[in-house]
Amino acid sequence: MKPVLQVTGLRKSFGGVVAVDGVSFEVHEGEILGIIGPNGCGKSTLFNCILGQLVPSAGDIRLDGVDVTGSTPEAMNRRGVSRTFQLLQVFPELSVRENLILAGQEHRGTMLARLFGPGDAGLTAEADRMIGFFRLVHLADARAGSLSYGQQKLLDAAMAFMAGPRLVLLDEPAGGVNLTMLADLRERLRAMNAERGATFVVIEHNMDFVMSLCSRVIVMVEGKVLMTGTPAQVRSDPAVLEAYLGN
Amino acid sequence: MAELVAYIVAGLATGAIYALAAIGFTLVWQTSQTINFAQGEYVMLPAILILAGVSFFGLPLWAAALLGGLVFVAVFGAGFKIAVVDPMIRHGVLPLAIATMALAIIMKEGAKDFFSSEAQTFPSPFPAGAVDILGVSLSIQHIAIIAVAFIAIGMLQWFVSRTRTGRQMQATAQNPGVALILGIPVARMVMLTFAINAALAVLASVLVSPLYLAKFSNGEVIGLFAFIAAIVGGFNQVRGALGGGLIVGVVDSLAAAYISSSYRLAVPLALLVLIILIKPEGLFGRREERRI
Repeated sequence: MKPVLQVTGLRKSFGGVVAVDGVSFEVHEGEILGIIGPNGCGKSTLFNCILGQLVPSAGDIRLDGVDVTGSTPEAMNRRGVSRTFQLLQVFPELSVRENLILAGQEHRGTMLARLFGPGDAGLTAEADRMIGFFRLVHLADARAGSLSYGQQKLLDAAMAFMAGPRLVLLDEPAGGVNLTMLADLRERLRAMNAERGATFVVIEHNMDFVMSLCSRVIVMVEGKVLMTGTPAQVRSDPAVLEAYLGN
Repeated sequence: MAELVAYIVAGLATGAIYALAAIGFTLVWQTSQTINFAQGEYVMLPAILILAGVSFFGLPLWAAALLGGLVFVAVFGAGFKIAVVDPMIRHGVLPLAIATMALAIIMKEGAKDFFSSEAQTFPSPFPAGAVDILGVSLSIQHIAIIAVAFIAIGMLQWFVSRTRTGRQMQATAQNPGVALILGIPVARMVMLTFAINAALAVLASVLVSPLYLAKFSNGEVIGLFAFIAAIVGGFNQVRGALGGGLIVGVVDSLAAAYISSSYRLAVPLALLVLIILIKPEGLFGRREERRI
């Protein structure tokens, strides 16, 4: 499988604090890669560097072989990289459908169409398909801010996939979601990968969620990659257990 | 009764003008957390520029209005954003608010020094006179002002809610960080909001100046009433600013007619205090949640 994303020797420091320290890994076409690690180990900083929200101190990032190190979030979005956040980030005053249309519209049409084109940018049908896929049909016209936390997490994930991106970065999608909704979210993400061939990277603290969803897992500790392996290898690795539980 | 209806229509006419200025307040606040205390002067100055175009450069009124409007939108829309908002907002909302107060003084004193300290007549785009509707004599000018303001607000509402750019403006106002991640040109959307605010001010200026004459001090009352209108209606909703503007206009008109013209300024302020105590999010506003 060819790599969609290649991260090589990535480093990000804030003054004297090194948040990400020489991290290298690849994400392959159609893969679900998990990233786990204790709080403060640099996982979200890594996402921020990949998406261009932070400029790396060193190292490089390649998307489909093209060097995109230091690109802006806007440019990365246009190249097909989208993300979700730990905290919910929907547009609360817009409807569920409008949120999805907005998530996909910047990739459509000419400059003139972007300025004055119809509000749905021809995306209503695709938005409704995504609403059906994430089982939010009964909430399609509801204000996003009125949805439950779990429903907003589903919407957040749906928005990340709306533009049919090359790569989606999911930052703690299971955080704060109840068990019923969690099973639903996992199933939808699996289906997104199986049916649409979506490639994504998941940061998550919920071990069951990561181990049952991802084909490969990276373990980070103190800004460095401790190990990379299958969920079974990670579960049984003494160094990982020590990082999480101590001696 | 006929007199009451006439006062209400006159109040709706001035209220529609307050609404135009109040909508500008809310749009700029929503996209950039800028409270523009020069908003009243924004409504005062275009009329002065137009009159200056006629008297200094000998332009016909329509050309002076077009040129004055464009210059105003460029300088006090885009220019204001670049020269005042961008450098100041980094230091917080308060320094920016003070900077807009300074801008208000500069605009007011500039209009007085460079044009005139006297009130100037401003030609009305509408015919004078009155029409008789169901036995009530109503000013054509008042009816036309209400109609023009409502058409402008309707077009703005359509633009914001139905076009792609309008939806991007909404996204920018609601969550600029995520809007940026989604590839929305946030900086361009904020700039557009400032330009729309300036354009609304030009329209308000052209509508109000035939009623109250063009004078450097006009901005004081208009700015205050527009601010009250935005808070009474709800600072986070365009419909709130519209409703607030109309309510303040009618209350002001009735207070001047039936209470005392000396205390007319106090009545909308009392309304403001009442609304803040009873419904702080405004009559048509939505409660906002803030994560801390």
